[in-house]
Amino acid sequence: MKYLDKSIKEINELLKNKTIKPIDLVEEAFEKIEKNKDLNAYITLNKEQALKDAKELENIEVDNILFGLPIAVKDNIVTKDLLTTCASHILDNFTPIYDATVVEKLKEHHMIIIGKTNMDEFAMGSSSRTSYFGAPKNPWNKEKIAGGSSGGSATTIAAHDVLFALGSDTGGSIRQPASYCGIVGMKPTYGRVSRYGLVAFASSLDQIGPMTRNVYENAILLNAIVASDEKDLTSARKEKEDFTRLIGEQIRGMKIAVPNYFMSDIVDINIREKIEEIIKLLEQKGAVVDYIDVKYLENAVTLYQIIAMGEASSNLARFDGIRYGHAKENPESITDLYYGTRQEGFGQEVKRRIMVGSYLLSGENAKTYYNKALSIRDDMKKALEKVFEKYDLIIGPTTTTTAYNLTDSMDDPRKSFMDDVLVIPVNMAGLPGLNIPVGFSKDKMPIGMQIIGNAFEEAKMYKLASFIEKELNLDLNPFGGEKND
Amino acid sequence: MKDKLSKEEVMHVAELAKIKISEEEVEKYQVELKQLLNDVEKINDVKGYDEDILIAPWTDKTSLRKDERGIMLQPKEVLENAPRHSGNYIEVPVVISEGEGA
Amino acid sequence: MTNYIPTIGVEVHVELKTKTKIFSNSINGYGEMANSLTNVVDLGYPGTLPTLNEEVLNLAIKAATVLNCKIRRQMHFDRKNYFYPDNPKNYQITQFDTPIGYDGYVEIEVDGKTKKIEIEEMHIEEDTCKSTHRGTKTLLDFNRAGVPLIEIVTKPCMESSKEAKLYLEKLKELLFYCDISDCKMEEGSMRADANVSIRKSESDPFGTKCEIKNIGSISNVGLSIEKEIIRQQALLERGETFKEQTRRYDDKLGDTVLMRVKETGNDYRYFPEPDIPYLYVTDERIERVKEDIPMLPNERRKKYMDLGVSELNANKLVQNRSLSDYFNTLLEEKINFKIASNLLLGDIAAYLNKHEKNIENTTLTKERFIDLINNVDDGTLTSKNLKDILDTVLDNNLSIKEIIKESGIKNITDDGAIREIIIKIINDNPESVKDYKDGKDRAIKFLMGQVMKETKGSANPKIANEILTSELNK
Repeated sequence: MKYLDKSIKEINELLKNKTIKPIDLVEEAFEKIEKNKDLNAYITLNKEQALKDAKELENIEVDNILFGLPIAVKDNIVTKDLLTTCASHILDNFTPIYDATVVEKLKEHHMIIIGKTNMDEFAMGSSSRTSYFGAPKNPWNKEKIAGGSSGGSATTIAAHDVLFALGSDTGGSIRQPASYCGIVGMKPTYGRVSRYGLVAFASSLDQIGPMTRNVYENAILLNAIVASDEKDLTSARKEKEDFTRLIGEQIRGMKIAVPNYFMSDIVDINIREKIEEIIKLLEQKGAVVDYIDVKYLENAVTLYQIIAMGEASSNLARFDGIRYGHAKENPESITDLYYGTRQEGFGQEVKRRIMVGSYLLSGENAKTYYNKALSIRDDMKKALEKVFEKYDLIIGPTTTTTAYNLTDSMDDPRKSFMDDVLVIPVNMAGLPGLNIPVGFSKDKMPIGMQIIGNAFEEAKMYKLASFIEKELNLDLNPFGGEKND
Repeated sequence: MKDKLSKEEVMHVAELAKIKISEEEVEKYQVELKQLLNDVEKINDVKGYDEDILIAPWTDKTSLRKDERGIMLQPKEVLENAPRHSGNYIEVPVVISEGEGA
Repeated sequence: MTNYIPTIGVEVHVELKTKTKIFSNSINGYGEMANSLTNVVDLGYPGTLPTLNEEVLNLAIKAATVLNCKIRRQMHFDRKNYFYPDNPKNYQITQFDTPIGYDGYVEIEVDGKTKKIEIEEMHIEEDTCKSTHRGTKTLLDFNRAGVPLIEIVTKPCMESSKEAKLYLEKLKELLFYCDISDCKMEEGSMRADANVSIRKSESDPFGTKCEIKNIGSISNVGLSIEKEIIRQQALLERGETFKEQTRRYDDKLGDTVLMRVKETGNDYRYFPEPDIPYLYVTDERIERVKEDIPMLPNERRKKYMDLGVSELNANKLVQNRSLSDYFNTLLEEKINFKIASNLLLGDIAAYLNKHEKNIENTTLTKERFIDLINNVDDGTLTSKNLKDILDTVLDNNLSIKEIIKESGIKNITDDGAIREIIIKIINDNPESVKDYKDGKDRAIKFLMGQVMKETKGSANPKIANEILTSELNK
């Protein structure tokens, strides 16, 4: 009964000719999740409702390729009647009375929400270890981190529990865990996917995206969740398009840029070597690859720290124990309610970031830090856009190292930012970025490559990614199952 | 560069963020917050940019909603989610002075 | 005691008259059951985002136009961050950097002179929720959360409580007239804060400013400013200094009381709202909004008085927007406007009040009203007649002529008959005739009264007046 290891086209055929029913897929997913329980990929399982949904689908015509397929949703995306905690104590009793727009999209496509995945608290972190519910583990080596903040989504995909997951990416939170776990993860262009119902961390950076085993399935899921949404003023008003349309095309003549900074000594030598191999391959296949300098890339983390923490301090102010969520018991005063609720409800990383963010916006600091960051951000976006006047895509490593040990120190508050040094620039400029597995380190941990496109050129990124995927034909099942294609 | 914030500075940011911190935590934050703030200082080394700002990488201008009524919550739904309520109201400990309201 | 010069600036919050809230599509309403007019956006639930109500933009442009403001063409919103239980997100979406209107003014008449009250800026923002304090608890009703507001800020350019009151009255009149707001201070749809400082001479810098928050009526604005000036004078006279502070006006006490001292400037941690992209105002939109602006009160008053309406009646008419609008439909007609205004503000207004009706809900079409005015003007209808038939005129479609006929009004229009009565009255009142001859105007009024009494109000007053004058002059 290993239907979930088949391609989605095959599964779709089986559903259409009634060889299997959606409930077979759902039951198989829960069996796998149960077996991989130690990975701690999920905060909440939606078992009862998922089985019910699957049953109901039996009366409905198979109307699209995602029909009846189980999907895992990151726990900062609100789901009606299903606990949504953001991996925080402050929301561990929060059952939303509304769906995120992306969740509505999944339901329209008759996908089945299997559960809510583990993550860094409020998506703040790079290893998912700031979760109130403990960290998820990397299926390739359970001693290692899955990355973050969408660590649970990356884990469950890498473990082949399900085919589809949603993550969110504020400063690399889809691409970085995708890289550590050896899966495909896409952060679409800012505005591609509605943010309505994504619990905001940094509003100008956040974007929901698909996390999958392979490139084709990734593009299919993106097809399903992209929509301009009148509930989100920042959602882009764009025509519908098929993101799979360029998959399978040759890459001859493609012009690709590699920023020198991405290949500098901040990156582990083994990872650089792996990327260089890929560059050689692309050149052999007729692509033109140039090493270039891109201004401001090395400043991206500083800008990110100011903007993300500043916005977060404001976005997380609403968690005050008054309207919903955790509240301090028997508060003596309104001050006690605020201070106590937030002391009890937030973890260390979140507290640190909110405090620093509040400081950066206070008094004169708004000018000296925040406004300056917005100015440099504008120039950085322009510098990146300039690259795309000449080049189709930018590539480089996704991370500076492979996944490190779960037991590594968490004492340095800067570490979580530095892990994301290569993935943050994309969010600053609102561009799409994708991780694709390109090989393994000596200790058998996945290495990922990042592909960055110009705004709204995700289809072109999928084209290059699927070409590489096919050329490499890596075995990406950590438990040595059947190969996917 | 200093390697830690003063206790008063930590208490000030904690107050801005409305987070209670214990004695032991103050010491920890004196160092940790300073580490982050030192990082952030690097922005002053960046040169050569112009004054234009980017608030967010928006694609379109703001679209406007028609002034038409939508679906609202039942008072019951509002109250069920609130940790404390009485009657049809959400309840908080008394707020002494009438505040900074709009 | 030294004479101090007060300097006063006023900030007014006005709730806009829209169907829905500014950033969500729940109802903008007042007086409903607590927490029945909200949705997840108003309550600041996680993951929710604002949308922007088009009507808010239109009304803000309208307000900026009538307040003679320049209108900004590209704007963003900002977040004002502060923790308060009435502030659901613990930040308020407002306009800090780029207010929609700026550099405007409102003209007031002070002691016969026109003074321009300068408007620094006006911006769009969201209202907070309503809190009620009960013993050890504060109760929150989020119906008001997200109601659209404009805040209008004057320069510190007023020098007396009188000017501040006149400014507020004018502001209220303008905003109410243009359907921008109800401007009901008692319901909180208009709220005023006053900034007061005093100094000895024009050449001195401004004195320390105290802000009086949330004053509940225009008269209290006046009272609180006066009390505050006295308080500050007394302190300065005693050689005391004071810090910038926020106070409120206590109605029972009849004085301002301290709320809090501003130790340092408020730290609102403003930053640009990333959830709302740039908002643009086009020429077309401004033109469309302008078409919607009615004739303003000052212009109306002037027009009415030019047509012969008394100043008192002109003012009364302007205060009643619906009667004034009705009156405006007559402006091109050749009628006696004095009579028209008397009728509208007198018997007709009384009828409307009694029946709780608007003039539009009566049967008094423009044509019938003109007919009525002319019948009064030529004396066919006396004021007594009018009282008798008014109900019929206002709830019936019959022509005035038919109504007069059916009501059996038989006014004495026969010259001979009236002359006979007049001669009798002249003979009975030799004293009055003497008074008349001596040039006392009162006499003719008295004699006319006697004529009407004698004829039980049925003599055509115009004819009677003519005959009486001619008989007296014989």
